[in-house]
Amino acid sequence: MLPFADLPPIAAPELEYALLAPLFIVSAGAVLGVVIEAAWPRSTRFTAQIVLTVVTVVAALADTIWVYTDLDVVDGDRVARGQVGGEGALSIDGPGVFTWGMLLVFGLLSALLYAERRLDGGLSSFTGRAADAPGSAAEAEATKARLEHSEVFPLLLFALVGMMLFATSNDLLTMFVALEVLSLPLYLMCGIARRRRLLSQEAALKYFLLGAFSSVFFLYGAALAYGYSGSFRLSDIAAAVGARSGSENLLLAAMAMLAVGLLFKIGAVPFHSWTPDVYQGAPTPVSAFMAAGTKTAAFIALVRVFYVGFGGSSWDWRPIFWIIAIVTMFVGSIVAVSQTDAKRMLAYSSIAHAGFILVGFVGAYEGPAGADRITSVSSVLIYLTIYGISSIGAFAVVMLVRDSSGEATHLAKWAGLGRVSPWLAGTFALFMLSFAGIPLTAGFIGKWAVFSSAWAGGFWPLVVVGVLMSAIAAYFYVRVIVLMFFTDPVGDGPSVVVSGRLTTVVIAVSAIATVVLGIVPGPLVDLAQHAGALVR
Amino acid sequence: MMLLLLAATPLVGAVLVAAFGSGAAPHVRPKAISLAFSVVALAIALVALGRYDIGQGGYQLTTEREWISVFGAHLAFGVNGIGITMVLLTAILTPLVLVAASGERLAQPERMSTYLALILSVEGLALAAFSATDAFMFYVLFEATLIPLYFLIGSFGGPNRSYAAVKFLVYNLVGGLLMLAAIVGLYVVSARAGTPSYLLSDLQQLDISTTTERILFCGFMAAFAIKAPLWPFHTWLPDAAAQATPSTSVMMVSVLDKLGTFGMLVWCLGIFPDAADWAAPVIIVLAVVSIIYGALAAIGQDDLRRLVAFTSVSHFGFIILGIFAFTTTSMSGATLYMFNHGLSTAALFLVTGMMIARRGSAAIGDFGGVQKIAPIMSGFLLVAGLSSLSLPGLAPFISEFMVLAGTYTRSIPAAVIATLGIVLAAMYILIMYQRTMTGPLSDDARGVTDLVVHEKVALAPMVVLIVGLGFFPQPLLNVINPAIDSVASHVGVGDPEPRTPTQIVVPAPQEGGH
Amino acid sequence: MFDLQWLLIAVPLASGLGLLAWGKEADRFGHLIATAASTFSFVFGVVLFANLLGSDAGDRSHTANLFTWIDAGRFHVDMSFTFDQLSGLFVLLITGVGTLIHVYSIGYMEHDERRRRFFSFLNIFVAAMLTLVLASDYLVLFLGWEGVGLASYLLIGFWQHKDSAAAAAKKAFVVNRVGDVGMALAIMTMFAQFGTSSIAAVNGAITSASGSVATALGLLLLLGACGKSAQVPLQSWLLDAMEGPTPVSALIHAATMVTAGVYLVVRSAGVYDASEAARTAVIVVGLVTLLAGAWIGCTKDDIKKALAGSTMSQIGYMMLAAGLGPAGYAFAIFHLITHGFFKANMFLGAGSVMHGTNDDVNMRHYGALRTAMPITFATFGLGYLAIIGFPGTAGFFSKDKIIEAAFGHSFWVGLGTLIGAGVTAFYMTRLMMMTFFGQKRWLDDVHPHESPRVMTYPLIALGALSVLGGALIFGDWIPDWLAPVVGHAEHNAVSIGSWEVPVWAMTLIITAVAACGVAAGVLLYRSNVAAETPADSSVSVFTRAGRHELYGNAINDAVAVRPTMHLTRFLVWLDAKGVDGLVTGMADRLGDTSQFLRKPQTGHVRSYAATLFGGALVVVLALLAVTLA
Repeated sequence: MLPFADLPPIAAPELEYALLAPLFIVSAGAVLGVVIEAAWPRSTRFTAQIVLTVVTVVAALADTIWVYTDLDVVDGDRVARGQVGGEGALSIDGPGVFTWGMLLVFGLLSALLYAERRLDGGLSSFTGRAADAPGSAAEAEATKARLEHSEVFPLLLFALVGMMLFATSNDLLTMFVALEVLSLPLYLMCGIARRRRLLSQEAALKYFLLGAFSSVFFLYGAALAYGYSGSFRLSDIAAAVGARSGSENLLLAAMAMLAVGLLFKIGAVPFHSWTPDVYQGAPTPVSAFMAAGTKTAAFIALVRVFYVGFGGSSWDWRPIFWIIAIVTMFVGSIVAVSQTDAKRMLAYSSIAHAGFILVGFVGAYEGPAGADRITSVSSVLIYLTIYGISSIGAFAVVMLVRDSSGEATHLAKWAGLGRVSPWLAGTFALFMLSFAGIPLTAGFIGKWAVFSSAWAGGFWPLVVVGVLMSAIAAYFYVRVIVLMFFTDPVGDGPSVVVSGRLTTVVIAVSAIATVVLGIVPGPLVDLAQHAGALVR
Repeated sequence: MMLLLLAATPLVGAVLVAAFGSGAAPHVRPKAISLAFSVVALAIALVALGRYDIGQGGYQLTTEREWISVFGAHLAFGVNGIGITMVLLTAILTPLVLVAASGERLAQPERMSTYLALILSVEGLALAAFSATDAFMFYVLFEATLIPLYFLIGSFGGPNRSYAAVKFLVYNLVGGLLMLAAIVGLYVVSARAGTPSYLLSDLQQLDISTTTERILFCGFMAAFAIKAPLWPFHTWLPDAAAQATPSTSVMMVSVLDKLGTFGMLVWCLGIFPDAADWAAPVIIVLAVVSIIYGALAAIGQDDLRRLVAFTSVSHFGFIILGIFAFTTTSMSGATLYMFNHGLSTAALFLVTGMMIARRGSAAIGDFGGVQKIAPIMSGFLLVAGLSSLSLPGLAPFISEFMVLAGTYTRSIPAAVIATLGIVLAAMYILIMYQRTMTGPLSDDARGVTDLVVHEKVALAPMVVLIVGLGFFPQPLLNVINPAIDSVASHVGVGDPEPRTPTQIVVPAPQEGGH
Repeated sequence: MFDLQWLLIAVPLASGLGLLAWGKEADRFGHLIATAASTFSFVFGVVLFANLLGSDAGDRSHTANLFTWIDAGRFHVDMSFTFDQLSGLFVLLITGVGTLIHVYSIGYMEHDERRRRFFSFLNIFVAAMLTLVLASDYLVLFLGWEGVGLASYLLIGFWQHKDSAAAAAKKAFVVNRVGDVGMALAIMTMFAQFGTSSIAAVNGAITSASGSVATALGLLLLLGACGKSAQVPLQSWLLDAMEGPTPVSALIHAATMVTAGVYLVVRSAGVYDASEAARTAVIVVGLVTLLAGAWIGCTKDDIKKALAGSTMSQIGYMMLAAGLGPAGYAFAIFHLITHGFFKANMFLGAGSVMHGTNDDVNMRHYGALRTAMPITFATFGLGYLAIIGFPGTAGFFSKDKIIEAAFGHSFWVGLGTLIGAGVTAFYMTRLMMMTFFGQKRWLDDVHPHESPRVMTYPLIALGALSVLGGALIFGDWIPDWLAPVVGHAEHNAVSIGSWEVPVWAMTLIITAVAACGVAAGVLLYRSNVAAETPADSSVSVFTRAGRHELYGNAINDAVAVRPTMHLTRFLVWLDAKGVDGLVTGMADRLGDTSQFLRKPQTGHVRSYAATLFGGALVVVLALLAVTLA
């Protein structure tokens, strides 16, 4: 007789393939990319990868839209769409799918930046052969042979999958897996810049070590949560919290650990220290992708864990996030003032923005039953969309401002950019103003949204602090404009490579989006509202 | 619809000028185009004034449509007596400024078209802001005006311009962002009361709890006090004015800063009457301090532009005093003052600018006896100066006296101290005039030439208006009074009765005038 | 017909502004247009006045309401004018003397390339002055009040290339502004108290208001009057004002503008009648000024400044008279008119003298001019007789009346005016002797000569008026004429202390005192007048004080000017360092904080990990803290 005969049969998981299709499409694209990497002739491989990636992402995006449109409404006193799926591991709900869409757009824009090959002598921003020691003869020869790492595209797709999963995972274990799936490719991609390779490798290593460290916190937190509620499922945890069964301290510890893990990815103070180094060291397209994608995914995950899982004890965790929000805004804005490197400046600005989004998050405002109000969830979605697009645009501009040694990221080199190429400087100024939250730019709408949800949640002093912080932030954004427009060029001034078509497209798209969303934000806002509440 | 058209015209013009100018080397076309658009705007404004039914009063020429429904924000245009007055001021000043501007010698002449385009965009945004009846829309425009002005100061100013520009922007942003907090709070309040709406008409219906109302009021007031500027938030103005070109200064002080006082009158008093009443004592004190402080500081200036800037601090003190004295007389006076101050300060900035351009220095000490070689210029300077010290017979006197007389019925000490300002005003103007224009001609100033045609063209209309309104302010007052009456009744602080009224029957103000 | 009284103002105003706008083309004939305009106003004024004389006593006040000037809230002001017995007299004085001075200036300013502008300013002045006297609302009066101030500013500083002239002009305006504060506050008080600033309404309703209101109004208006009429403590500008061309000194700073303060007080009779305190203040101001002015007049060697001191003193008489209430109003106006005649006459005479001596104003360089310029001497002499109160001349009547009334009020006040009369006689004699008698002290290049007819005819006219002006008092015409406006008080006998003195005796005393003054003057200055002004060190304290205008400027500097200037300098410093420093300082702090906060950003993974771990601990502890709390 057969062994194991007495074992119970393993039921095949019931999956809502239609709903999960976008995930599958992107994963499939990624796998296919690996295959191409192995099989496709080198000469045209890079191009093939580009095509594949773009097609994949576009397809996924189309499917995502379709998925979103036929999410069925969950009955309840508050608008909510979608359902829990994947055996309860995922919740494919309005905000989640909305986030998918966001991430895919970011992915697409970043992919175009990845594909840019006209800036650096016909080569991409990635090193020819990562294995070579920086500055070695081998490296030079690799460059000469015009070698390129086209693996970055599959890696991008894998990271994308991870992010999408992260944003929709409904239990802590899935979330942890997603966290790793999105992180590992990023660690790798950070390390393979073509220029300043040592800096790049150092960044990768730092990111990896600290990232690992923080994931441990997350994992530990998940374990504690399990210990408290006996389940990884957010809904179960919520039930346990509601019932106040189990030891209070266990719960608190769990919340703290999970918070640390997530805040690290978000880049909130005091878990931000990696951000400047990594953003500066990583290849600029990767920095752009991280700034937009990682932050988005992590924020939605944060929202899920704390609104759905620990919503019951929000009065315990709110004060902490309050403080973290203020500290993050403060440190981010203040330290940015004294930065001399464009990418580091953008890194600190991303920290500051994490703080502003946290303000909206702290509000935890769900809106009155049945009425259509800006909720915390929708405000966070709005802010992330706007911030993501603007920051990709900003990084893209950084790619175009170059000198003999590659990108001229030192701000001193940017003096008088407004004279050299008014359009580029103009768009960068536009992004800066949007970051600063000046009306008629998208950034203002984002600020308004998070502040209003925070006030509605009863945190008006936090709003006042927030606006003062944004004044400080505005100060350093404005300084960049002064540098570009009101300062005379030093020496021959910065040179701008205008030939970069793809980059130019990305810049144009984000610039237009920044303006349009600033003047007619209605559609975006309505969509974010339409996404409704989280499904538990 | 009309107001939308009015606001759009200069903005379209700005785009066109920027587009044309970027290519064409000869700047004739940009100058002509920009002037044409501003003149069209003036024409539309006059038509609007004609359409405005004075007898009926209230908000007219209104258009309104949803903008961001979830926010409760609308694109809502409409003007009452106060709004139309400010619109008129903006529409009148801009063409004159453009005439003067096209004669200015810029550091980079090739950027003249950008310069004109920015001036036009300031006009457009200001016109829209003055005719906005939706708080969100007003706020957006209020803040948006900062950007073109920031570039005007920063790229076309004097050697220290970038410092001045940043200072200007950050100062105003701090105020603006505090106002943003209040705007957000307003949304929450109106959302709690039902469907959120930013329409002034809806906001006036809201009943806001005392504490909230005061918090929100402070948010709004912060922005307006910095913009106006009220002591001690004024220090950005002298720096900005000292670095900016004359035309920029005019757009900044004569037009945009009025958004501050306009905001206090229409928005602060309109939405938070009780809080305004609560805060009035403090604000009155600050206003009186501004009057005296600004005047004294002006006397002590050695830089013509800083001097004019400080005189404005003093004048804004009068305007704010009039607003928060809460008498119909003082508030009408304050509104009229906004218009008159716009004219006289514009004239003053332009004339001093012409002097500086000729002498190559803004230091008062570098002039002397110029009257002998440039009598017309000195004549204009004298008239502008006399209007600034509000000599009876010139427009500002009427408004200043109305403010004082109205204030006197509310608070005698405030009125008395403020009245001392008229002596100081005489000092800062006449000392400046004496040191620059009279006495023996100083050798360094010999090169100074008298005004040329386009400069006279820019200045003459201002002078004509200043004198005309000095004797016939009533047409304008007839437009303003109804609006002020409604504001006053909304605030609900009635005029103090005369203690021993006379039997003289005061005839009703005769209608029309337009 | 009286509805057209605005033409009195409009015509000179139009011609004044027109000449300014017209430009160089008008240089050739500008002065003629201006003179014509002023003449028109005079003729029309005469016509209107004749009408007034014709109409019966009850119907002699005609108000013409042109348009609503200001109407907002409770604030309502009509641009309206009143032609009545009082303003009528002033219209005649202003336009009459004004026209004569226009004519005179044609000659006097002949060689000035800016003559057209000079005449347009004169016209503007006439218009403003007429606005002042015709106004039937205090705010309209204020319009004229400031208008004449402006004209005075422009004309004192007419020779702007001279620093002294420019400074004097500015000083005059600023000092007057101090007075204007009083005016402005007075009008505000009226508005708050009565809801109107109409002269008739206020003076009518004043009795129904509390006495303190009347006193406040009285004092505030007095402050304004002091500024305009150069009364202590706002006297300091008048002597500097002599920087202006002499016709200006004659018209503005002798005959008309400076007397506006007196007009204001008389026009506000209602207010002053209602407040004993205010009247006393007026008397004190008048008395102090008349003595101070006389004192200064005794010590100046500059002929114009000597006359200016005299003007101060004479206006002091008028003020004092006005302060006596109904007993004095009429006489104040009477003296004002006669003074207008003889003082304008003497100023123009002085101008004629300067004209003949290369614009030298120092009397020590004159002497024995009577032969060189007989007409000037004769007319000036008439003015002299009038001001010292030589029996039969205009001054004789007008000043006597004031002194009598003063004695009627109080012995000491009367005594003051009596002494004043003596001193007046002295310093005027001194002036006469130094200018027209004694020995020649002419500078070498000076060849005195009589002035052209265009200048001498006005002198003759004014000389005649200086003598005949007294006729206004015959049969108590002036008091009766003005009675409807300012009220009337009977007084035939005067009392010094306790014992009654008949009027004739009083007159005798006054004349005797004046005679003493004359005698003293003659004795001291008959001969051996030094040809150069003796140094301050060599003269008596009395003289030195007089020369320094009783240190009025020093006091102003110490009390007002210097403190203000220090304050401004302090504020400028404070603004930069304090108010602005706060903000910029904050910005710097931000920079420092930024530098400080980036320290932990060492780049070492271990330190990053440490912060991360520390952060985690903090979060945990904080959570615990929150829940335990």
